[in-house]
Amino acid sequence: MYCVRSVTDNLYWVGANDHRLHLFENIHPIPRGVSYNAYLLLDKSTVLFDTVDWSACRQLLENLDHLLDGRPLDYLLINHMEPDHGASIEEILIRWPDVKVISTEKAFMLMRQFGFHIDGHELIQVKEGDTFSFGDHTVTFVEAPMVHWPEAMVTFDLTNGALFAADAFGTFGALDGKLFADEVDFDRDWIDDARRYLTNIVGKYGPHVQLLLKKAGGILDKIKFICPLHGPVWRKDLMYFIDKYDKWSKYQPEEDGVLIAYASMYGNTESAAQALASKLCEKGCTNVWVYDVSNTHVSQLVSESFRLSHLVFASVTYNLGIYPVMHDYLMHLKALNFQNRTCAIIENGSWAVKSGDLMQKFLEDEMKNMTVLNDRLTLASALHPDKELELDALADAIIESMGKK
Amino acid sequence: MLFQTTQAHEELRAKIRAFAETEVKPNAILMDQESRFPAEAVKKLAEMGLMGIPYPKEYGGAGLDVMSYAIAVEELSRVDGGTGVILSAHVSLGTWPIFAFGTEAQKKKYLVPLAKGEKIGAFGLTEPNAGSDAGGTETTAIDKGDYWLLNGQKIFITNGGVADTYVIFAVTTPDIGTRGISAFIVEKGWKGFTFEPHYDKMGIRSSETCQLNFDDVKVPKENLLGKEGQGFKIAMATLDGGRIGIASQALGIAQGAYEAAVEYAKERVQFGKPIGFNQAITFKLADMATKLKCARMLVYSAAEKKEAHEPYGVDAAMAKMYASDIALEVTNDAVQIFGGTGFLKGMDVERMYRDAKITTIYEGTNEVQRMVIGAAIMGKPPKGAGGGSSSVAKKPAPVTGVRKGLILKEGDAKERVEALVAALKKDGYDFSVGIPMDTPIAQAERVVSAGQGIGSKENMKLIEDLAKAAGAAIGSSRPVAETHKYVPLNRYVGMSGQKFKGNLYIACGISGAIQHLKGIKDASTIVAINKSSNAPIFKNCDYGIVGDVNEILPLLAQALGLEEKQPAPPMVKMKRPQPPKPEPIGPRYVCGGCGYEYVPELGDPDAEVAPGTLFKDLPEGWVCPECAESKEMFIEA
Repeated sequence: MYCVRSVTDNLYWVGANDHRLHLFENIHPIPRGVSYNAYLLLDKSTVLFDTVDWSACRQLLENLDHLLDGRPLDYLLINHMEPDHGASIEEILIRWPDVKVISTEKAFMLMRQFGFHIDGHELIQVKEGDTFSFGDHTVTFVEAPMVHWPEAMVTFDLTNGALFAADAFGTFGALDGKLFADEVDFDRDWIDDARRYLTNIVGKYGPHVQLLLKKAGGILDKIKFICPLHGPVWRKDLMYFIDKYDKWSKYQPEEDGVLIAYASMYGNTESAAQALASKLCEKGCTNVWVYDVSNTHVSQLVSESFRLSHLVFASVTYNLGIYPVMHDYLMHLKALNFQNRTCAIIENGSWAVKSGDLMQKFLEDEMKNMTVLNDRLTLASALHPDKELELDALADAIIESMGKK
Repeated sequence: MLFQTTQAHEELRAKIRAFAETEVKPNAILMDQESRFPAEAVKKLAEMGLMGIPYPKEYGGAGLDVMSYAIAVEELSRVDGGTGVILSAHVSLGTWPIFAFGTEAQKKKYLVPLAKGEKIGAFGLTEPNAGSDAGGTETTAIDKGDYWLLNGQKIFITNGGVADTYVIFAVTTPDIGTRGISAFIVEKGWKGFTFEPHYDKMGIRSSETCQLNFDDVKVPKENLLGKEGQGFKIAMATLDGGRIGIASQALGIAQGAYEAAVEYAKERVQFGKPIGFNQAITFKLADMATKLKCARMLVYSAAEKKEAHEPYGVDAAMAKMYASDIALEVTNDAVQIFGGTGFLKGMDVERMYRDAKITTIYEGTNEVQRMVIGAAIMGKPPKGAGGGSSSVAKKPAPVTGVRKGLILKEGDAKERVEALVAALKKDGYDFSVGIPMDTPIAQAERVVSAGQGIGSKENMKLIEDLAKAAGAAIGSSRPVAETHKYVPLNRYVGMSGQKFKGNLYIACGISGAIQHLKGIKDASTIVAINKSSNAPIFKNCDYGIVGDVNEILPLLAQALGLEEKQPAPPMVKMKRPQPPKPEPIGPRYVCGGCGYEYVPELGDPDAEVAPGTLFKDLPEGWVCPECAESKEMFIEA
């Protein structure tokens, strides 16, 4: 059965929802599913904006058959070639042998790499600033390199104000009938997944997101719809989401708050982490979030790190090094170009405490602009009341540094 | 391009040559023989406005270009190499750093009289253990709040003793290599600043050179030149310019010897004709003239590049290296042409032969010049290929961070103890107040701590007495509590025990195991008393006394005062300086083709782009090492 929704006059969502996939990109859990968005414009010519993952191809074809109602598909416009959007290209080419493909030079190169037989079709190679008319609708192209692939572009419909944003402004979470962000309580139900999506998938490319935001800034008043490739379409309160993107891509926290991520083997480091959390809250700093790195997916840790201003890394010493799961979390932060945070360290070890020095070295040498507070808490196996003063000093130092920012 | 100097340059040359011929040359032999500074000539140079040639008129200079300065040094050196270097050291070394890095106030106070020639300048970098490698600098400047306390020696200082204003380099942050060096302006006559007698040198004997001693010299805060930690950068930038001066000096010496040789070759007749027509001599002269021309081109080209604010470090190194190398060859040939006559004292070429030698040595030996030039060609060697860079720390910083490391050695035990107490009082410690001896370590403002060096348990009395006198709580090392059980377990200080975060920590008989040191790294002041001078605690302390606790502790208690202490007010933590973090040398850029980040500190070794190359200076045709996109695809990170 077809399953489509109208975005605005003559523009339709023709994508699909996926609740079967456990791990997005085979790494990030998506308990709320994900949508693959494709859009169909019925102008004098018919235009499909991007395709969907191979697993959702049949739904896309049913949707197209329903809306085209016998008309040919004239153009296939590809903004982004990652297979969760590009995988169904070959099927479209086979079904509509006369379809013309519009995309960037690098995207065509990637299509050939992935083994799609595009060379029998008319290929229209576009670049930044080009325009193209489908009849009533004229679109212009804006290159978006490294958001988050090099071939990516976004396409702006100058006629109806729809911005086909590729992976920008996307989110995890299946739409399940809703299409627009104003049809859901985004700030309550979606923002965490949106943050987890952006920070983990595009986090490394903050400077390039900033560049795209700057380009979008020039046409902001003309943008009526943001049509991303995952998650809801935006037609109201665009600035809410753009502000979030601005913060994430500048590596600025959304709020003052403390993330305490602990790595504990037998609960002793955990106990110290909890004690610190209580101290902070007792002193009035209640925006405190405690996570066990062994039981929290790293994409969640990354997402929360982007959200909050202060990070406490509490790790036991393991094989004379940082506890491997904690180390993995740090490596993810580094790989994502994460920066500009105030950090504190709790270290534990029963015969040779190494994790604190190693974490501090990692934060200071491997990452950018990370301030490590002097007040490190060191445990020999377990925290005892004799260190309460140090715990107080650490909590005070965190709170004091919050005021300084 | 005609490769010619301007008419103005040649007019200046004529003026200086006339001065040199009439005022310097007649006394050159005497100055050389008696190793005497040509004070009269230097005074006249000042009157002629030649002591500040390349500096703007508003700062008292002549407002001329670098080439004019090079010509002046060349012309003075043409008759006397010593006089040439007086000018070179004054202008390039003593004055330039103030011009380039000084504040407006420093320029008004120091640059103006230097540029006018009312004062003479000098530059102090070289030390007994730091010559080519500035990372070995041992002169220290300690931040005392209101002033810097300068201690150390500088050797081989041109214009030493006659100069009024000195730019001195000293370590302000130990153990982080050249990043810990800062520059200071120091005046002759300040207390503790003294000079050793003038060296008896082989050549340039009219130039004064001596050792400088700094013994607790108080340098006012405002005399820090540039920023703290910038000293090495300032020194290197200064030497780049100084090399043009020395290259000019070498060129001048060689020019003088060459002219004398030509004249002599025309006068001296053998086998019925002037020896210059003997092909063996003609060819020598031809070679000498060619070498001079090459050297002159290199020197003037470096001077022009400097004037045009083009990068000129390598050019200056090439000019200095080549001009001085050929100065040895040309003066040698000149003496050869003179034959036995040239071997006699009193002959100009004999003096020039000796004067030339220093030019391959100072301002960076010619071996160092080849390092500079070679590094520009090859970049830095791959890691692990040997030849450690002096810009990195020679050894890891002490566990306890940046410390003063003052080991008190002067006088007998009592005097050393008194010096320690005086230093502590000066740091702001009030020993009329104290805290209870059983204050928990983590809350204590002061702790007197016992290590295994304390000996038998009876000696803990010494610790108690000292703690009382110091108004401190008692702590210990781990074995003293755990193994010997002299104090309860909760009183041992260390990473796994109690951390001391107060102000004053007095370690008695503690050798300084890493786990102990980590427990006191937040202490504002660490005092070490231990009989082994090699104990690690001494590398981690602010003040140290090498001595037996049995002798030192009672003396220290006495000196601190045995009277009953008043209750201490709530602790005010004394802040300690953080070691400066290196500033990025330039922006990073991200590739739009793959996300690769270009880091200027790292360069791109695979493309032979040297570490330290800014993105904007990447060579034509450079592409992303990961995806081969061109430079245009990069955006600033």
